[in-house]
Formats: sequence, structure tokens, C-alpha cells
Amino acid sequence: MLQAIRSVARSSLSRSLPSLSSCSSRFASGDPSSRKEAPIIDNETLLAVHEGSTSANTIAVPAKVDISPITGVPEEHVKTRRVRIYQPPKNAMQSGTHNIHHWEMEFDTRQRWENPLMGWTSTGDPLSNMKIEFSSPEEAIEHCEKNGWIWYLDVPKTQKNEKPKNYGANFHWNRRTRVSTK
Amino acid sequence: MSAARQAIKVGTKNVRPVLSVNHGEAKRRVLNLYKAWYRQIPYLVKDYDMPKSEEQCREKLKEMFLNNKHVSDIRVIDMLVIKGQMELKEAVNLWKQKGHMMAYFKPTEEPKPKDFLSKFFSSNE
Amino acid sequence: MLRQPLSRALALSSPARVAPLAARRYADAVPAQPEKVEVFIDDQPVHVLPGTTVLQAAAQVGVEIPRFCYHERLAVAGNCRMCLVEVEKSPKPVAACAMPVMKGMRVKTNSDLTRKAREGVMEFLLVNHPLDCPICDQGGECDLQDQSMAFGSDRSRFTDIHFSGKRAVEDKDVGPLIKTIMTRCIHCTRCIRFASEVAGVDDFGTTGRGTEMQVGTYVEKMFLSELSGNIIDLCPVGALTSKPYSFAARPWETRRIDSVDVLDPLGSNIVVATRTNEVLRILPRTNEEINEEWLSDKSRFACDGLKRQRLVTPMLKDSRGNLAPVEWEDAVVAAARALRDCPPDKLLAVAGGLADAEALVALKDLLNRLGSEHVCTEHYFPTQGAGTDLRSSYLLNTKIANVEDADFVLLIGTNTRFEAPLLNARIRKAFIHKETDVALVGPKVDLTYEYTHVGDSASIVKDFASGTSSHEVMKRLQQAKRPVVILGADQLKSEEGPALLAYTQELAHKLQENLQDKEWKVLNVLQRTASQVAALDIGYQPGVGQALAAGPKVVYLLGADSGVVTRESLPEDVTIIYQGHHGDVGASIADIVLPGAAYTEKRATYVNAEGRAQQTLVAVSPPGKAREDWKIIRALSEVLGAGLPYDTLDEVRDRLSQVSPALVAYGDVQPNNYFAQARALAQSLQKPVSGKLDVQLKQLEDFFMTDAISRASPTMAKCVQAVLKQKNSPY
Repeated sequence: MLQAIRSVARSSLSRSLPSLSSCSSRFASGDPSSRKEAPIIDNETLLAVHEGSTSANTIAVPAKVDISPITGVPEEHVKTRRVRIYQPPKNAMQSGTHNIHHWEMEFDTRQRWENPLMGWTSTGDPLSNMKIEFSSPEEAIEHCEKNGWIWYLDVPKTQKNEKPKNYGANFHWNRRTRVSTK
Repeated sequence: MSAARQAIKVGTKNVRPVLSVNHGEAKRRVLNLYKAWYRQIPYLVKDYDMPKSEEQCREKLKEMFLNNKHVSDIRVIDMLVIKGQMELKEAVNLWKQKGHMMAYFKPTEEPKPKDFLSKFFSSNE
Repeated sequence: MLRQPLSRALALSSPARVAPLAARRYADAVPAQPEKVEVFIDDQPVHVLPGTTVLQAAAQVGVEIPRFCYHERLAVAGNCRMCLVEVEKSPKPVAACAMPVMKGMRVKTNSDLTRKAREGVMEFLLVNHPLDCPICDQGGECDLQDQSMAFGSDRSRFTDIHFSGKRAVEDKDVGPLIKTIMTRCIHCTRCIRFASEVAGVDDFGTTGRGTEMQVGTYVEKMFLSELSGNIIDLCPVGALTSKPYSFAARPWETRRIDSVDVLDPLGSNIVVATRTNEVLRILPRTNEEINEEWLSDKSRFACDGLKRQRLVTPMLKDSRGNLAPVEWEDAVVAAARALRDCPPDKLLAVAGGLADAEALVALKDLLNRLGSEHVCTEHYFPTQGAGTDLRSSYLLNTKIANVEDADFVLLIGTNTRFEAPLLNARIRKAFIHKETDVALVGPKVDLTYEYTHVGDSASIVKDFASGTSSHEVMKRLQQAKRPVVILGADQLKSEEGPALLAYTQELAHKLQENLQDKEWKVLNVLQRTASQVAALDIGYQPGVGQALAAGPKVVYLLGADSGVVTRESLPEDVTIIYQGHHGDVGASIADIVLPGAAYTEKRATYVNAEGRAQQTLVAVSPPGKAREDWKIIRALSEVLGAGLPYDTLDEVRDRLSQVSPALVAYGDVQPNNYFAQARALAQSLQKPVSGKLDVQLKQLEDFFMTDAISRASPTMAKCVQAVLKQKNSPY
């Protein structure tokens, strides 16, 4: 008995739910019969691979790829920015060279200022922190070309001629490498 | 510099397609997307209660499609279609809000100065 | 700029990518390279010259052996023992920095024995090193920190049960630039070797032995060198840190922007460290062809002058004769009106020593459009003979890096030590390592190395040129295989300047003719400012003398602060427009002030004394309403109705490349020629000379404040005071 009531109550409630949810205010205003339904959006119609055209495995595209229309980077940051491709210099304060054997790209510096709230640095430049590492300048150039950025290459002049060093030179009897103080 | 940039790569290369295998197919997809948006415009204007007429929205739609008319790479066209389709779905399913829809019209953006002198006087960039 | 990346990019793919530099160096006339020996570093074979140290051999295969005392630009000391490595068949680990390789040597840089040896060394070093990293300025870029993390033990055995404390050493006072916390010193002796080898000021040394050992100056004395800042970089721990930068920032907080220094004519490469739109410090950046990895004190420490005395807003002189801040529109209109109302032949533009090539070309184009040809630089150069038409007659043709291969250097009327400290360091390097001898014609100054003082009379140069001199220097010059003659540009200002230049050209040409090495260039003229070469390349007339005498009505000063243009030298009704970044000599006499950007605030081209174009990058944005210099001139031209045809930096650089491709060939030097023609044109100028040669910068106190930026710098002012104080001290 109790079960029957409960089941009826449940079924009536569940039946009435759709009617509750469907009577939204915006349909209530106009005459529903005069309103046409919006076309259904269906990924299939647009993006489906068409039969009969799938024979080719590859397609020919221009070798110069330009993905700037789909990256979402605002046009002003593509057209007006300049990318510097460089090798990070060795920090003069340290002798280690572990983290500098790669190439980096970096955008030109825009204004930065001290944020009065915390004293941290603020900037209006969305690309100011975009430093990407590459193993060779060619890769960096390719990346910039693809994104439509104007780049230039800064090759460091760090080539030096090897000269054997000699501890004995400190004590040389007639050369100026002889050291006085220690 | 721009001359240098174009001079570096000429010719074509073969790659795997995203969707379309030729320009005809890519064009068909673009037109499909355009039509789908076009048909949705009356409903979108009502649903989002946009302070724009259908005519203005169609203008905007056309303008935004024509913004990318120079794109010739089939894969890029396909990606643009996919992104456009995603936008459309978000719009139709009311996943967006009014502000998102109005953002297409950039109502709050002030035009930046174009000529040298006004750029010089207005900012130091 | 525009053409550069493409050529660079194309050059990259070619196998000859590294060749040019090697080809440009003048290798010793060693007949045949001695046979190379094969050694094995961690089982990797490498062929090296005999006598190479194990550490150098390892570096060739990319194995970096930890070190504290070893520095590739200093002598081998071998006292820190951090570079101990295991060598097969050797009973004990050997110090890689001092051990020459032997044939078939097998070195293990990462074996258990090596690691244990390093751990032991680290432990000993840390026993007496304070654990004050949190308050140490070196923290974050400290070799001791890095290496104790990488090679040290993971626990300490240091238990000071009697609380006797670590070894402590009293701090020294070595001047206003270097802060010493001697307790942190690990006795690597890099500073001592730098002072005695590179700086040539043999003031540092050690006293005592063992725990009692101390690095110091023996007596209370300041480290008076124009290169002193480099020992801050060299110090592997925080014993020597920068005083102006102390407690300012941590290295990971700063942004580093690679740029170029403009405070001396060499264009040293620098890294500008910034935070919150403020330049915090300047460090050297390795460029083997210019500054190696050193930097002069003025370039390094004058950066606090960039924050003081700045022009931040356009100004106009009001009715009471005071400069009052105005908007850009008003200032530009006022300047344009003054320029328009002035007859073209009464218009004069003067470029100062810190002006960049873009601004220089824009200003010249503007004045030419207005019908005036009076664009001058502050420093004079003889216009008779070949004048400035042949580039080789006003450049440092030998190039800085090649100076160290010279076997005889003749300096004429220049104190390279203060006019171009890093060129002097090169000469000193040649003096020490190549046994190069130096002779000087000019006042007796301290060049940090021994030289033959020939005298200070200009007629000595005449005698050298004519070959009538009987001085031993003459013989040495004639015997030299790679002689270098450096003439200070300051000497050319006087009446006898043209003759002196002509004689120097004659001398250099005679020497060059007899050389076996036809590529070797003898003639060098050392300019005084960073802008002079670019200005002469663009076609500025050197010197303002004639133009001032003509009584101009409007004078446009582009950062001209050296005081050659004064109110007294101009007619009463003259209007002076000053464009620049510092409120210095020029701005104080101006009627209209247009604030420009300093070298850390713009992307600009500077051409150094060798003729090498380099560009600075934007590190911070210009303060207040200041604008990039070429833009100011471009805006002015449009208001004047004589709009210059460039709107972007790339277009300006296109214009620069039209003027001279060398101005946009960034990083490289174009080869110079036409020495014979320049000499032939100058032959008529060889008149008798009798004057005495004198240089402007004689003592260290003259060196620190020479331009608008360093004059505004409080650190430089402190340096001058410290030097004067030291002069009164008994030591």
C-alpha cells in the first residue's frame, strides 16, 4: 500500500518534471506556433571527412607556414613586435656554463612598472615573459616564421683561440708572466 | 625584413591533412560554416538580447570571415573552420554570455592612433 | 638591420660558419703546429696541443671541471684544489688546472675518487666559510653555493662543541665601488691575479699562512684602478661585492637585457639588469672581439646616473627666462616655429657624444630638407686632405682584438688607459704575454705597464714619419712585424692637428709597406666618444668652430653636453633647442628642451671606434614623457612640413643602410682600405710642427666623470673623492 503510493507519487512527479522545465519565460511571450526552431548545429555536417575525397594521404601546402590566424595572438603583437634570437650570455658573476648552451627567443621590452599594491612588477605586455628555448637558431627562426613574427639573429662573439696555459709561466725567469705577489 | 622573411621559404611541401584534402573541400567547409552562422543569427540576437540588428550581425559575420580571406594553407583554413564551429556551438548552446557575444563588436575598444604624429603625442611606444 | 638576418640565416647553414673569425685573427707566425696528443676524458678521445692542461682538454669535449681559483683569462694558480680529477695510473688525484696532458692520459672526471676528492675540498672550504647566504649579495650567483650543491657532501661534520666560532677576518676598505666581507674569502687569489695581470695595479696580495692567511692590500689602501669592478665578477664567493648594488636585488628577480655600452668609444658589450623599470646594475657580456669579459668602472657603475638629473618632460623658457614644463605638442610646435623662421644658413645642429646613429641620420636629413648643411659634431677632426671622406683615416683599423697580436705599439698623444680602458687592457695583455713593447709620444702618464717615453713634442712624430729620427723606437718600429700606431683624436683639435694626422698617416704607411703581412693595418685613430664614428660616417662636419663663428640664429643640440657650445659663443638673439636625456651643460643654456631616451631606453645603433656597428636594446622605458630620439626629430619634421620619409625603426635603418651599409652590419667590422690615398691627399699638409702633445685625462680622477650620464652619477662622484683622498694618504 505504502509502496504503491510512493511509486505513484514518484511517477507523477517524474512525469510532471519535463512540463515544469519546459515552460520557460522566453517561449511564453510569443506565439509558439509562429516561431521556427533554430537549425540544429551538428559537428558532423561541417567537419566530417567527405567520402570519396579521402584517397590522398598527404596534401601539398605552401612551404612557408603561417599559423598567425589561428594562434589567437592579437594582430598588433604579431605585426609590431620584433623577436630577438640569441644565445643567453654567461653570467659574469658565475663560472658555470650549464644553462646557456641553447638558443632563445625574446620579444622587445615594453613598459614595466612597479605595482603600487605589492611592489611587484606589472606590465601590459602579454608576450613579455615568453622566452622559448631552442637547440639551434634554425629551429627558432622556423618558429618565428610560422608565427609571423619579425625576427633577427644575434650571434655572440665568443669564439676564442685556444692557447695552452702553463703553471710554470708564473715562475718564468725572463718573461713578463712572472708573478711578484701571491 | 619582410622581404627577407618571404624569401627564405618558397615552394610547397607535403603534409598530412587536417580535414580537407583540397581547396574545393576546404571552401565547402568554410561556406557551410558561414551558412550555419548566418542561419543562427536571428536566434542569437534574440537569445542573447543583443543591442544589434540582424543586419549588423550579418555584416560583422561577413567581416570576420573576410578577415582571413588571404589564408591559403588548407590546414590553416581547416583549423579556422574548426575554431569557428566551436564558437558557433558555444553561442548556440548558450555557453556564452551577452558580453562574449558583444565582444565581437569591440564596443569598449578605443581606436589606436594610426599616423606617426598622433602615436608620438599619445604614448611612448 | 633589414638585410642582416637573411645573410646571417643563410650563412648559418653553410659549413664555413665559424671560419671568418679564425681567419681574421692573426695567428702567430708559428711554422708548423706541433703535433697534437691524444688524451681521453671520461673515455672520450680528444686531440690537444702538447702543454694543454687537463682542464682545458676537458673543456674541449664539453666536460666542465669544477674550479674556484682557475680562470681562463688569468694565470694558473692551482691553490683551491677543487679541480682534482683522477688520472689512471696516478696514485693521487691531480689538479686539472695545472697538470699538462700527457700522451694517452686517461682522465676520469666523475669517478668515485674524483667525487670524494671534491667532497673533501668542499668540506674544508666550508669549515671556515660563514653560512650567511641569506644576507649575502652573491647568493643566487655564487660559485661556492652552486658547487656545494653539485659536488659537496650532503651532511656536515663540522661540530663546534666548544663554540669557538669560525675563522673571522676583518673587512678591508678598498674604495667606494667594492664592498669586502673578508670572512667569506676562500683564498682563490683571483682578485690578486686580476689586479697584477690585467689591471696592472699590484696592490693586492696575501699575508700570513694557514688559518692566518688573509687577502688584502697590506696597508689600508684603496684599489685604484679603472677596471676594479671586474674583481666583483671574478670573486667566486661573496667576499667582494658591488657597493652601489649591495642589498638591492637577487639575481633571479632581475631581468637581463643584452646591450652595448656607450660611455667609451669601444662599445663594450653589457648586460643590463633591471627590475620594475629601473636599471639596477650593469655587467659585462663576453665579446672576444671587444671587451673579452671585462668592463671599465665607468661603464659598470655610472648606471645610477640614469636615474638622476633626467629630463622627463618637454620644457619651454617662459617670460621670466625659466624653463617651464609643457606638453609635447607645445614644445614641438615651438621648436618647429623656431626652425621655420630661421634662414637656412643660420641654422646649426650639433651632435653630442651619446647620440645614436638613427637620431643622427634623422637630424641630418631634417636639416638638409630645411636647406641647411650645418650639421656638426662636438669633436674636431681635420677636414683638409682626405678629411672624413675615407673611413680608414678616423677608425681604429687594427681592431681591438688584433692589438694583442702586435709586437710594437706606438701611442701618440693618447692615454689609452682612461680614454679606452679595455683597449689598454689588451695592450697590457700583449705586453705581458707577447713581450710587446710600447712607446708613447705625449705627456708622461701611468699606463699600468712600462713604456718608452719618447717625449711630448709633436715634432717627434714628424721625425718618425720622415725617418730622420735616431731614437731607438724608430728602429724598433721598422723592425716590427706587426706594429700598431694609435693616435689620440684629441690631438687633432689644435692648429697642428692636420699636420700631425698627415705625419701619422705617413709613418703608418711607410711601416705598412714594409710588412710581410699585407692584411695587417698599422694606422689607428682613437676617437673619444661613442657617437663620433657614426656621425662621421653619416656625413657630419667635425667640430663646431666655423659654424659658431658664422653666428647661427637657431642651434639644435642633440645631446651636446661637452661644453663646446656656450651662450657666450653665440649671438644674443639665438634660440637653442636641446634634445637629450640629462639636464647637463646643454639643457642649462637651452630655450626649448625636448627629453630624449638614454642608451638603456632605446633600440639604437652605435658605431664603436673600430667602425663596428652594434645596437643597444630597450631595457627600461624612457622616464616620464621622454621619447626615443629619432622619433622626436621625425615628429618635429612633420610639424615643420618637411616630413621625413620614415615611420618605423626599420625604415630608419633602411635609410642608414643607404647612407652606409656598415652602419647596419651589426656586430661586424667592414675591412678598411685606401690608406695610401689618404696619405697621398694629406701629403701637402705635412707642415712643420712644434707644439706639445697633451691629453685631457691624465689621472684616475679625470676618468670617472666625462659625459652627461657619469656626471649625474653619485657613485662616480664618490669615486673621484676617494681617489683624491687616497692621494693624501701616506701609502
